[in-house]
Amino acid sequence: MNVNPNDVRSLFESHYFLFAFLSSLGTLQIAVTSSGICGLWLMPYRRVTRLLGFMCIVTAIIVFFGQPLFVDGPWAAGSVQSESSTREWGTTSWNDLAGARNINDIHGGLDGVDQAIWFSLAVISAFVVSVGFGTISVKVGANSKEFSVDAKSHNSDGLTGLAHRSYFSNLPISMRNFHENSRNFWSDGVRSSDRWSLIKIISGSSTE
Amino acid sequence: MNSIDASLLIWLNGLSGSVKIFDDLMRVIASDYLMPLVLSLSMFGLWFSGKTPFQRMTFQLTTLMGISALLISNAVVWLINSLWHRPRPFLDHPDELNLLFYSPTDPSFPANPVAIGFAVATAAWVVNRQFGWWLFAAASLFGFSRVYAGVFYPTDVVAGALVGIAVYGFTTYLRRLLEPLATMMVRLARGFSVG
Repeated sequence: MNVNPNDVRSLFESHYFLFAFLSSLGTLQIAVTSSGICGLWLMPYRRVTRLLGFMCIVTAIIVFFGQPLFVDGPWAAGSVQSESSTREWGTTSWNDLAGARNINDIHGGLDGVDQAIWFSLAVISAFVVSVGFGTISVKVGANSKEFSVDAKSHNSDGLTGLAHRSYFSNLPISMRNFHENSRNFWSDGVRSSDRWSLIKIISGSSTE
Repeated sequence: MNSIDASLLIWLNGLSGSVKIFDDLMRVIASDYLMPLVLSLSMFGLWFSGKTPFQRMTFQLTTLMGISALLISNAVVWLINSLWHRPRPFLDHPDELNLLFYSPTDPSFPANPVAIGFAVATAAWVVNRQFGWWLFAAASLFGFSRVYAGVFYPTDVVAGALVGIAVYGFTTYLRRLLEPLATMMVRLARGFSVG
């Protein structure tokens, strides 16, 4: 393959980011609908949101593995040949599609570190998108049963608070609770950790 | 032992080439992108899956441990690789294997993808047996596909699985050693409304 591996890598990065973003968005939606965290729902309806989650995952897989059919890349002419260095630049055929993405990282595929970086960015993006849509969902669905507020949950924070609040309403409460209780969290944590804890051994008697 | 290992590999890889759709399926599963993403997403999903505050805390601590085990597995595999460089099977048996994957340049033993898969699956299994079994199946399928494709020996996969499980055990010990750091990280995430 007479192609600069960096060109291949930048192509892979954009494709992989879309793949990871859509599938993380889908996974997040399925997880938050099952745990009732309404503040992150794409839509104010549980079933629709869950269905959207599944659709995001399926779309991500189809797009990522189908892209070599219509986007030029290092997968033309013979992905059935295992060796990624012998391929030409272009689109692949249906026959060769399954192996088209199998490109060694030394020829421009993404190695583990690259994947970890792009996956992290994709996960953050999926969360940000969910926060945006969730804010609208909470406003639109404010009167529905799904979003009803339990009297006990007025002071709830973190993801528990997101069960009936938008991220932006929940953040100040979570920050305040953390700020007020962080010292207790630490000392309680040290006290309740078992005798193996290095931190307990080091800080020892002062927290007993 | 080596000859049984090679014979088993050659027999499994010899099944390729007869049913194209199965070969294609194995190529997709063996890909560097599908299964690693599935395993990473399982941890991401687990973080948000708790239904009660207690369950959420348990799941989130497990997610942290799963991610740590994944990273430590990589380091352990790298360490073993630097101590023993077992050549890839397609180098030892070039005329007997039908390679369905590109030729990796790193050592064969133990199988890194299987090690990280089993580390993550063990983490999931600890908090949810059913979910954990599904992930064990996914990690095993990932390993099988790489053997079928001719890039790992069966013993590489078995060793990878053992490394993954052992590293998860070590990670639980490490967590006890560093407590309450992990709990504090979850509390901090809760302060930013993501935990």
